[in-house]
Amino acid sequence: MTAAVPETPTSTGVAITLDHVSHRYITDAGEVVHALADTSIQIPAGQFVCVVGPSGCGKTTLLKAIAGFLRPTGGRVLAGGQPVEGPGAERGVVFQQANLYPWLTVRKNVELGLRFRGVAAAQRRAAAQEALELVGLSRFIDAKPYELSGGMQQRCQIARVLASDPGIILMDEPFGALDAITRRRLQNELLAIARQKKKTIFFITHSVDEAVFLGDRVVVMSPRPGRVVMDQPVQISSHYDHLLLDELRSVPEYTQLRDRISEAIREDEH
Amino acid sequence: MRRRDRTVALGLQVGVFVALMVLWWAVAKAELVRPLYLPGPGAVWDAFVDANRCRPISADSDRIVCGEQGYYLWGHLLASLQRMAVGVGAAVVLGPVVGFLMGSIRWVRVAVEPYLNFIRSLPPLGYLGLLIVWFGIGDLSKYWLLFLAAFPPIVIATINGIRNNREDRIHAAQSLGASRLQVATRVVLPSALPDIINGVRIAVGFAWTTVVAAELQNGLPGIGGLAYQAGVQLRTPLVIACIIVIGLAAIALDSAIKRLGEVLVPWQGRA
Repeated sequence: MTAAVPETPTSTGVAITLDHVSHRYITDAGEVVHALADTSIQIPAGQFVCVVGPSGCGKTTLLKAIAGFLRPTGGRVLAGGQPVEGPGAERGVVFQQANLYPWLTVRKNVELGLRFRGVAAAQRRAAAQEALELVGLSRFIDAKPYELSGGMQQRCQIARVLASDPGIILMDEPFGALDAITRRRLQNELLAIARQKKKTIFFITHSVDEAVFLGDRVVVMSPRPGRVVMDQPVQISSHYDHLLLDELRSVPEYTQLRDRISEAIREDEH
Repeated sequence: MRRRDRTVALGLQVGVFVALMVLWWAVAKAELVRPLYLPGPGAVWDAFVDANRCRPISADSDRIVCGEQGYYLWGHLLASLQRMAVGVGAAVVLGPVVGFLMGSIRWVRVAVEPYLNFIRSLPPLGYLGLLIVWFGIGDLSKYWLLFLAAFPPIVIATINGIRNNREDRIHAAQSLGASRLQVATRVVLPSALPDIINGVRIAVGFAWTTVVAAELQNGLPGIGGLAYQAGVQLRTPLVIACIIVIGLAAIALDSAIKRLGEVLVPWQGRA
């Protein structure tokens, strides 16, 4: 499988541009690690991109570069046409750990992004209410984060990002630490929300199944140094929009694509 | 602990306490040790009660004396606690501020840390003499002493709290659009609160041992001063009563701060 760089003819409507991005760093032991090889990806606005690959394939490095948490040592990262200089409210991040603030209630956690921007209390409250309803957490609006289960904490984190209303949402294995049942339920909810909200979503996972189920497009990466080995549009979720989400999982095209991607990862290991 | 375990533990503690009391009482009763060195529990209790009430100066006298050294025993305790409140109180206000600056601005830490460690390594009574020269023999020097004893542990705990902040928590706030100031006040500082409270707990314990010792000099009213004066006058029952009060006060202070911590940081150990 070759590393296919997708060609996007127009630059308008591009949400994220990774232009020959690479990254090296030096460990405490003085060893140079080549975390990410030359990588170019363009993501149109509104696309749900899943990046899948084993640990050490540089997918988190890529996310951090887009989020502005690290500055890649090579190449350019653009978000909304502007070079990424640091973290910003237009690029929301959902972490693997919920990172809720335990001194704030669920509602105040969800309001936080609007609060940072000085939005009036009534508006904040309404936005938080809406976001919490969307993730099915409105009954827990006055709870403290540590009173919630792991799955509910992740829902709350997603609500916090949705209330802040960024154009781009970056998700770093958000369901990785959850049990299988909760994970499946949250995948269904996220897909429903993504279809409704039309956000650009950059979703990292090590699960091929999750990537194929959620993404409009799946980017497969391989480790040491991280590079793109497959970049594949997924037609399924739009073709079968009328299907119930759980039925979608058993559509033959879906299972075939999943197998092909798994194959690509295995081949690369040989 | 399960409830049954707790009952057993409590029973054990009560049993040991009663056994110690009986042993103390028996040793004193049999006069194995001269009462000057070891008065019995009854004598200590009487000294404690007398120190908290007005009574005739002797059985056949009309002159009434109240408490000891012009104050009731609880008044002495209160005087010591008031010194704590001023000296440690100042450290509780200033310590987190200095710790926050040192924890978040590298060059402040580089510049100040050696002096902080120097002060911390000194036994407070070692510099009490200098404080007396500067601030006199009265309460002002004791306030300074307690401040200097309590300040370093609080600053160091705050620095640790600031520096151990989870990076993801800060990143999450930045991605929600937080400014540097907002990150500092709304994320970093609350995150450090459990450490700050721990620092205050350590500081109060340390300051309490310091204030009792500092009251050897011109420490009346004061529970440490009373214990010392009673010793000088060979009034052993009152000395022992003071020691017990000092110990119980230390335990009460510690549990009060622990409780306060549980109220202020209900997420401790859960998030």
